[in-house]
Amino acid sequence: MRAQLFRYFAKELRKRKKKTALVTFAITWGTLSILLLMSFGRGLSNSFRISFKGLGDNLIMVYRGQTSKDYHGLPKGRRIMIYPRDIALLSALIPEIGLVSPESNDYFMITAAGRETNRNVCGVGPAFGVMRSMIAESGGRFINEEDERTARRVAFIGWNMAENLFPGENPVGRTIVISRVPFTVIGVMKKKLQNSSYQGFDADHAYIPHSTFSRIHTQLYIDRIHVQPKRREDNQLVERRIREILGRKYRFDPEDDYALGIWNTIEQAEEAEKGFRGVEIFLAIIGGLTLLIGAVGVTNLMYALVKERTREIGIKMALGARRRHIILQFLLETVFIFSKGMFWGAAVAYAIVRLTRLVPISYELSGIQTYLLRPIFSLDILVIFLAILGTLVFLSGIFPAVRASRLNPVEALRYE
Amino acid sequence: MIEMERISKVYRMGEVRLEALKEISLRIEAAEFISIMGPSGSGKSTLLNIIGCLDTPSGGSYFLEEKNVAGLGFDELSTVRNRKIGFVFQNFNLLPYATTYENIELPMLFNGRSGKRRRERVRELLEMVGLVEWQHHRPSELSGGQQQRVAIARALANDPSLILADEPTGNLDSKTGEEIMGLFVKLQGQGRTILMVTHDTHIASYSQRTIQLLDGRIV
Ligand SMILES: Nc1ncnc2c1ncn2[C@@H]1O[C@H](COP(=O)(O)OP(=O)(O)OP(=O)(O)O)[C@@H](O)[C@H]1O
Ligand SMILES: [Mg+2]
Repeated sequence: MRAQLFRYFAKELRKRKKKTALVTFAITWGTLSILLLMSFGRGLSNSFRISFKGLGDNLIMVYRGQTSKDYHGLPKGRRIMIYPRDIALLSALIPEIGLVSPESNDYFMITAAGRETNRNVCGVGPAFGVMRSMIAESGGRFINEEDERTARRVAFIGWNMAENLFPGENPVGRTIVISRVPFTVIGVMKKKLQNSSYQGFDADHAYIPHSTFSRIHTQLYIDRIHVQPKRREDNQLVERRIREILGRKYRFDPEDDYALGIWNTIEQAEEAEKGFRGVEIFLAIIGGLTLLIGAVGVTNLMYALVKERTREIGIKMALGARRRHIILQFLLETVFIFSKGMFWGAAVAYAIVRLTRLVPISYELSGIQTYLLRPIFSLDILVIFLAILGTLVFLSGIFPAVRASRLNPVEALRYE
Repeated sequence: MIEMERISKVYRMGEVRLEALKEISLRIEAAEFISIMGPSGSGKSTLLNIIGCLDTPSGGSYFLEEKNVAGLGFDELSTVRNRKIGFVFQNFNLLPYATTYENIELPMLFNGRSGKRRRERVRELLEMVGLVEWQHHRPSELSGGQQQRVAIARALANDPSLILADEPTGNLDSKTGEEIMGLFVKLQGQGRTILMVTHDTHIASYSQRTIQLLDGRIV
């Protein structure tokens, strides 16, 4: 095919811009809405995943409880306490346990640099930071084994507390006073999303070694044990073994769900993951259906574009156009119109996603905006979309084009 | 130039069978100017379309410049139309969004004439039909007579030996019609063969020979 003919096709297309504007707009709109649907959907489930990890998604928490069943002559309603030595017992008897840490907490008056605030102080083991995905801002660290063993007076604090006590300053190395005992700040927690919590969000807390906590607090029992199995699959096994071992020691029925409070985030995360996948699949199906409807509409518009040019096709045939000239012209126009529409749709979608991500979100509020304002424009979505749309272009372009080329010149010339 | 032997054309519309042309035999020499007349529905356009290779006959044989056209496929017929035949229609049939210049140039784009030769040819034709000043206008900005002159220039683009015109003056007033006939006479003078369908005996008087059609037969 000769270059001059391509130039002529391009010229015709330019002159027919207004007529093709509707199709171009339809394709732009379709591309835009599907890409936004996929981007925001992906962002939504991604934010869910991240905030699940905020609490830790690989964690079993064991609380104190109260029996709800009689057991070997013992009445129901007995309080079951857990103590620091139970931790050693559990790690010794359950080889599937990877990390374990006690946690006790209470509210204390904290003062620093002339400021005073009443905050939750948690006594935790060194493994706690890893289990709860608490990462220190650079220049700081979490509580370590040495801190725990020698009951050092050191504190790791949430970013909110850091901001309150030392606004605009680096708290690491500074002193805070908890219940009249001075502590050195060793690290500040990096910001993270968290969608589930107990007793407030991590950002507001101070963390100190559990051994140190026992010295400033009078309680002998611990509030919680955090357990992380070596392998996620073992979470139910570990949960059952904890109930059996502590049940034997404190004499309660391992089947008694209230004797110990157990919060298995692994099980919960697995349930949630099914939900996220469900949402993504649902959105993909909606997107696919939308695309299909759009394709039918666009094919119709393409047919209309060809149909209104029937007479013109007849004229060109009379002047010596071959079949391939007719097909090629319509195919090129389809490709061009689609490329233009898809380019603008993708560009606008990308811009919207980027702009939305610029909106600052508050990690404390953990409100709806954290889920809506972090869409993800990913390459794989775009590639899949372009592949599907490319096929549709070909189909919606080739049928009208071939039909046009099969027209009888006399009939085409007579078309009104 | 044209040799037709027992050409017939049958249209089938469901059960109804309509014989638009009934065993037409025809011989036309080069550089003849012939008008085709006959009542409406007698098959004039059908005959012209078959001669112009826009349509294929249901039976019979047709030689155009000694070439058997009957067995040719669509693209081969396109080439014949492009090289040998120029069409002039009653309703002009110009491309609405192309300028005068572009309309005249179009037939040359389908056979790959070089850009320089195309420009020269379009200029030549614009001068011949007297539309040099109108070359950048679209058909909608031209009068009927001007549009028909563009159509004639376009029909001549590839220097065809045969001009087919289906009621070329049908949409024009009589004065403009005479001007168009003046052009046709000039074309015949250049040695081209002209076949023209018309209802107007005065217009027909410009031709040397008239073929009368009635009910698909020559009378
Ligand atoms: N595509 C078609 N399908 C069916 N019948 C057709 C078709 N084209 C033409 N005819 C019929 O064939 C006959 C000849 O038609 P044609 O157009 O050749 O007449 P004509 O002499 O050109 O008439 P007019 O002077 O009105 O233009 C008419 O009866 C017409 O109805
Ligand atoms: Mg007719």
